[in-house]
Amino acid sequence: MAEQAIKIDGVTKRYGEFVAVDDVNLEINKGEFFSLLGPSGCGKTTTLRMLAGFEVPTEGRILLEGEPVEKVPPHKRNVNMVFQSYALFEHLDVEGNVAFGLKRKKTPKAEIQTRVADALELVDLSSRAKSRAGELSGGQRQRVALARALVNRPQVLLLDEPLGALDLKLRRQMQIELKQIQREVGITFVYVTHDQEEALSMSDRIAVMSDGRVVQCGAPEEIYEHPSEEFVAGFIGISNLLQGKAEGQGRVRVGGNSLPVPDLPSDFRTGDPVQIAVRPEKVAVDEIGNDNEKIQPGMFTVDGEIESMVYLGVGNQLTLKLASGGRLVALEQATYRVQSDDQWQVGQQVRVGWHPEHCMVLS
Amino acid sequence: MNAHRFWNWFLAPGTLWILVLFAAPLLLIFALSFGHVDDFGRGVYGFKLGNYDDVFNSTYLPVLLRSVGYALATMLICLAIGYPVAYYIARFGGRWRYVLLAALVIPFFVNYLVRTYAWVALLADEGLVNNAIVDLGLSDAPVQMINTPWAVIGGLVYGYIIFMILPLYGSIERMDQSVVEAGKDLYGSPLQTFIHVTIPATQAGILAGCVLVFLPSVGDFVSAQLLGGPDTYMVGNLIQDQFFAASNWPFGAALTMIMMLFLSVWMVLYLRRAAKGEAEVL
Ligand SMILES: Nc1ncnc2c1ncn2[C@@H]1O[C@H](COP(=O)(O)OP(=O)(O)O)[C@@H](O)[C@H]1O
Ligand SMILES: [Mg+2]
Repeated sequence: MAEQAIKIDGVTKRYGEFVAVDDVNLEINKGEFFSLLGPSGCGKTTTLRMLAGFEVPTEGRILLEGEPVEKVPPHKRNVNMVFQSYALFEHLDVEGNVAFGLKRKKTPKAEIQTRVADALELVDLSSRAKSRAGELSGGQRQRVALARALVNRPQVLLLDEPLGALDLKLRRQMQIELKQIQREVGITFVYVTHDQEEALSMSDRIAVMSDGRVVQCGAPEEIYEHPSEEFVAGFIGISNLLQGKAEGQGRVRVGGNSLPVPDLPSDFRTGDPVQIAVRPEKVAVDEIGNDNEKIQPGMFTVDGEIESMVYLGVGNQLTLKLASGGRLVALEQATYRVQSDDQWQVGQQVRVGWHPEHCMVLS
Repeated sequence: MNAHRFWNWFLAPGTLWILVLFAAPLLLIFALSFGHVDDFGRGVYGFKLGNYDDVFNSTYLPVLLRSVGYALATMLICLAIGYPVAYYIARFGGRWRYVLLAALVIPFFVNYLVRTYAWVALLADEGLVNNAIVDLGLSDAPVQMINTPWAVIGGLVYGYIIFMILPLYGSIERMDQSVVEAGKDLYGSPLQTFIHVTIPATQAGILAGCVLVFLPSVGDFVSAQLLGGPDTYMVGNLIQDQFFAASNWPFGAALTMIMMLFLSVWMVLYLRRAAKGEAEVL
C-alpha cells in the first residue's frame, strides 16, 4: 500500500447553523495528484483551507503523514497553498516572492539562492527574476505562485482553482505543465476545481463533492464510467438519465422497451425502480434501412426521430425522440459525416443503438 | 474642435477664482518677503534678501527645528495610535464599520480652536484633571501639564489624528486578505507577517497619513498658543506674531515662503510616490 500523505477523518465544518463541510473522510497517498471536484459552494475551498490551517474543523481529525494537525496554525504546517487570486506580494520582485518562505524558515542565504533559482527554472521564469509582481501576465503570476509554494518542498501542495483566472488556451497549456511539474517534483497535490475536464485529465484520483459531502471518490475512469449516483453522472459530462424497473436476468424495462443491463447488481428484485444512464458519445445513430454504418452487432437498438441538432465543431449533438416516448441525447463525432448532402435532417427517422455494457446503473 | 473650445470656457470662472484669491495673495507675500519695514512699522516693498538671512539666524533656528521635531513626534504618535484603530475598524468592524468611522469623524467637524480650548479646560492647573488629582489626594499641588511640549504635541495629535486614520483605513480595507494568509502559509509568524506583508501592503496609506499629519502640524499655531508657553513656541506662532504683535510683515512673509518651500518638497515627494503607487495598481 502506498504511504499516506493526508487522512481526513470525519471532518465537519459548521458556520453557525450552516454546514459547509459534512463528515468528509478521505485518504490521500503520497505523490498523488488528488482533485476535489464539485460545483461552486460545495465546500471545496473550505476543505482545502482546513488542510492549510486557515480554518479549524468543527469536528473530526486531519492527519498529515500520521501527525494530527487540525489545531496547528498555518505557519507551523509543512503545507503550502497556491491561492485562487495568487496573492503575490506586490512590493517584492519575483525572486523576493519565491524566497519569502525560505527566509521565514531561516534557511542559509546560499541555499536560498540556489533553491530559488531552481524553482524559477522549474516554472520557466528565470528571465523574470527581477520583475515586480505587477509587471507579469496572468500566466506568469500563476507560475510565481506555484514556484513560491514549491520552493519550500512542502509535504502537500494545495491548489485552489489555480487556473480559473486564465483564458482557455493558456489553461490547457498550464494543465499539461502543472501535471509535468507534479511528476517531476513528486509532491502530493491536492487540487480544487469545478472544471470536470480539468479534473479528469490531470488527476490520479478525484473526490466529487456536493453540498459539503464527498459523493464519490475514485480514479477518473471509474468516476466517468461508473458514476455512483445521478449527481455525479450529471456533473461529469452530460448523461442520458433513464428511469426504469428491474425485470430480472439483467434487464430493465424503460417505457415500452426492455433494455439489457449487464451491470445490474443481483440484489435488484423484479419491480425495483432502477436509474440508468448512457453517455451521449456512446449512442450510435443510423438511418433506418442503412443501420450497419455505426450501429454494431450486439448493440441494443430502438427507433426514433431527430428532434433537434446542434453543431459543436467537433461533432453534432442530436436530440432524439424515441418511438416509445422519452428523449435521448447523442453526440456524433464529425468524422462520420463530412459531406453536406450527408447531414441529418430534423424530423428524419433514425435507428439508435448502444452497447449494453455502456448502460450505467446509478444508486 | 469648436465644441472643445466652447467647453473650455467653463474653466474660466474657476481659473479666475484661483488667480484672484490664491495666486495673487501668494505673489504679494512673495514680493513682500523682499521688502522692509518703514518707520511707522508698515511693510514696504523693496528688494533685499535680509529677511531670508534672519529666518536662519540663531534666534529663530531653534523655533524651526522645534516645529519639525514636534510635527515628527505628532506623526509617529498618530501612526502608533491610528494603525491599530484603523486596522480593527477595517478588519473586525463588520457592519459597525461606518458607524465607528462616523464616530471618529464627527468631532472633527467642530472647529479645531474650540476643541483645543476643551483641552485647556482639561489640563490647566485649575482644570478638571488637576482638580481630580488634588481632590483624590494623589498630589498636593496641581501637576504641570499645560505649557509643556507634551501638551502641545498632545493637542496636535488630537487635532490631526483623523488625517492618519482615514487613509490607513482605506488601504487596510482595500488590502487583499489572502496576501496576509499567504504570509502565514509561507511560515510567517503573526508578527513577521505583519512586518513583512501587512505593512508593505498598506504603505500607501501609511505614507499618506504621515504626510497629511506632518504638513499641518509643522505650520500649526493653535496648539502651541493655547496649550504651550514660551518654550514651546512654534514657527506658526512666529509667523502669526510677525503679522500681528510684532508687525513685521516682510519677515513674516519670508518665513512663510521658507515654510512653503519646505512643505512643498515633502508634498512633491509624496505625490510622486502616490502616482507611482497608482501605476502599480493598474
Ligand atoms: N467564513 C464563512 N462563513 C460563513 N459561511 C462560509 C464561510 N466560508 C464559506 N462559507 C460557506 O460555505 C460554503 C462552501 O464554501 P466554499 O468551501 O468556499 O465552496 P467552494 O470552494 O466549493 O465553492 C458556501 O456556501 C459558503 O457560503
Ligand atoms: Mg472555492
